[in-house]
Amino acid sequence: MLRLIGRRLLLMVPTLILASILIFALAEVLPGDVGRSILGPYATQEQVELLNERLGADRPIYVRYAAWAGGFVTGDWGDSLLLKVPVFPTVMKALGNSLVLAGFALVLIVPTSVLLGVFSGLRRDSALDRTITVSTLSMTVIPEFVSGVVLLYVFAVWLKWLPVTAMPPDGSPFVSRFYYLILPAIPLMFLELGYIARMARVGTAQVLAMPYIRTAVLKGLPRRRVIFGHVLRNAMVPTVTVIGSQVGWLIGGLVVIETLFVYPGIGKLMVDAAQTHDLPMLEAAVLMVAILYMLSNLMADIVVALLNPRIRAGG
Amino acid sequence: MTQDERSREFGHHLIEQVKKGQMTRRQLLVRASVFGLSVTAAGQLLAACGGDSEESASPAASAIPDPVMGGTIKMIGPAPITDPDPVTIYDQGGIVLVYQFLEYLIDLNNDNSLRGTLAETWTPNDTVDVWTFNLRQGVTFNDGSPFEAEDVVTSIERVLDPDNGSGALSQLNGVLSPGNVKAIDAATVEFTLDKPFADFPYMVSSGNYNTAILPRTYKGDIIKNPVGTGPFMLDKYVTKQKATFKKNPNYWGKDDKGNQLPYLDGLEYIMVEDNSAQNLQLQSGAIDLQPQTVFQGAQALFADPNLRVDIYPGTGIREVAFNVDKEPWKDNPKLRQAVAYCLDREAINKALYDGRSNLGYDTFWEPSVFAGAPESTPRAQDYEKAKALLAEAGHPDGLEIELTFAKYLENPQYAQLIQEQCKPAGITVKLNQLSYEAYYAGDDADYYGTTPWINAPMSITEWGSRPAPGIYAAAMLLPDAVWSSSHWDNADFVSAFDEYESTVDEAARMEFATKLSATQQEETPILLSFFITQLRTQKKNVFGVSGPGSFYCDMSRAFMTA
Repeated sequence: MLRLIGRRLLLMVPTLILASILIFALAEVLPGDVGRSILGPYATQEQVELLNERLGADRPIYVRYAAWAGGFVTGDWGDSLLLKVPVFPTVMKALGNSLVLAGFALVLIVPTSVLLGVFSGLRRDSALDRTITVSTLSMTVIPEFVSGVVLLYVFAVWLKWLPVTAMPPDGSPFVSRFYYLILPAIPLMFLELGYIARMARVGTAQVLAMPYIRTAVLKGLPRRRVIFGHVLRNAMVPTVTVIGSQVGWLIGGLVVIETLFVYPGIGKLMVDAAQTHDLPMLEAAVLMVAILYMLSNLMADIVVALLNPRIRAGG
Repeated sequence: MTQDERSREFGHHLIEQVKKGQMTRRQLLVRASVFGLSVTAAGQLLAACGGDSEESASPAASAIPDPVMGGTIKMIGPAPITDPDPVTIYDQGGIVLVYQFLEYLIDLNNDNSLRGTLAETWTPNDTVDVWTFNLRQGVTFNDGSPFEAEDVVTSIERVLDPDNGSGALSQLNGVLSPGNVKAIDAATVEFTLDKPFADFPYMVSSGNYNTAILPRTYKGDIIKNPVGTGPFMLDKYVTKQKATFKKNPNYWGKDDKGNQLPYLDGLEYIMVEDNSAQNLQLQSGAIDLQPQTVFQGAQALFADPNLRVDIYPGTGIREVAFNVDKEPWKDNPKLRQAVAYCLDREAINKALYDGRSNLGYDTFWEPSVFAGAPESTPRAQDYEKAKALLAEAGHPDGLEIELTFAKYLENPQYAQLIQEQCKPAGITVKLNQLSYEAYYAGDDADYYGTTPWINAPMSITEWGSRPAPGIYAAAMLLPDAVWSSSHWDNADFVSAFDEYESTVDEAARMEFATKLSATQQEETPILLSFFITQLRTQKKNVFGVSGPGSFYCDMSRAFMTA
């Protein structure tokens, strides 16, 4: 098990290096340059060139990459070229915000979707199963900006039950953040519910058809023990893998929700940085999300290994 | 001629124009302001015109209650794209922010007339190429240092220095060169222009937003060191989230009754990019004011019983440029006119702006929008004329053209309307929609030689407000204009323009404006179907917000009733 973890952690290093090179290369392909982003379309060519020279943005890409990578590894993440704020605290703060939102959403999503999926799986093809499957799938296909706007309009504008933004005013106690996060978490729940519930349903149904379940039932085990001791444990393997893969998205991919609910998360930070060629900010943000993504996948694999001894032994 | 004599003669011309019906009383006020006539002097001119007083340009002026002191107004708008350095800002978020704590020599009123802010008066010499500005006395920066002529000199010279990357440089291009701003004494500044330019006061007004007056010691760190003379002081700035302002207790401004300005204790500016998110926040009651409301999605705001949407006679445009360096537009004004006659401008105005914008007829001299403009010849949709022009232009069987634009604001809808309306005449418009970034991107080595907004054969470019037709023409229709998407170079227009800007005689200006307008229409280097009305949304208890819509949001007289 420890070897598995160690090997996976080591593998992260080349992956991150590759990712950082790719970001640099992709940013190069994007139209425009950082000098133009700072001075805008009305500045003259000479003005932009002067600024690019001053920022070092006119140097060859490999020179800039080496300079950036050297700084990044030694802990000097530099300043944002556009916003003139230090990159490290900005990225960490945004990442922290995104983690809070993702964590809160997961707390809502995982138990609900697993419960619904397992119910569906246990009562396969019943009216309950069909209701759950159809309704969760329908929710999944609603884009988050549609459900977000509708929810905001109904609960924040019309009924005024919940706040219209996702961040409490300065000085509010930490717990009040969760009250503010209820509305933004719901569209995420809509998106994920159908997906995770379906995995749980399929897993449950598959395990129910296994001979060892029949044996367990036939040897007279109480139904509760069959479900909790045998079905759930095995049915959870694909579900946990899927949840692991969704964590990365919940942290870095919530641009729409962050924009709509005015939440200073890392998704929006990355998009802004990409659009304005703010490479120090973009690199740091993407790499942090990549690290979290890989860690969450690793966590999922560890949980799966704990659930399934065969994987553990093979690890 | 002495300054007094010049003012008298100028005033006399204005009165004549009003009496002849060539200018409304409101337009007289606008023109008088450009030449630095005080409000009292302009009032005397109006009295000399006789007749009834006219409507005010300020929305719902009669319904404004007495000001209430105190309170904080929460505003909402986009975050500045960059760290908002006043020398280089170019976006709405940056401009609205610096406008609260910095000031200009001259400010724009709602009707684009000028109001002295840090300058009290300004006058040109006889040849209109030297302008003398008398500065307001007794003004201090919020760090206690006095405001003097030297601060004006360094502020304007700063934007003229190419090293500082200011967009104002392009605007002042060919009018004011570095080294030509001089302090005569602590309270007088003299600008020596490269050529006569009667609209010069606009170029050092808030209409040219990079010309904000900063202390002479400014080092480019406005957020860390927010020193200005404005009604508010920057208190806290959280990047991409919000900015808060406190009132400047030593502000020089007083209202008509002698009350100290500003009325408010402070401001909060919440940064939200997304328009629907902004509108939802307004509707929820969490926000008091949205300085700039866009038409798309504004219907819900118009219908909201708790909100008031003010409408300002805006001057923003969507420039549809024919690149005359490229086929099929080269040397072919008839073809350009043919496209112009395909447009149903009223239908476009209705579809894009709920019919609330002012119609344009392919000339900047549009009297419904700008003071001192001659009547333009309306251009209604006329397919027969369009087809005849097409045949004369050498395309009797029609042709295919390409229209390039950014997927931004109402550009895509406008492009589709142009496409639909050109079809019956046999003109097939191929739409080339780019991302905003791609439309304004260009090669590092030669930006203006490669960027689509300047080089596409036909393009739509969005322009914010410009306070006078001459400012627009100088920015895009002269051969040396940096932002010329049409690449138009017309000797008649250039010489008429130089004469137009060389005189302060209103009758002569009107004559040249008539010629300029006719040439622009005849040649049609660009299509101007409308001048966009500006919307500003506030709670019904918010009053006194001024500035001609758009980015300019003067909060010094704003207040909230209970």
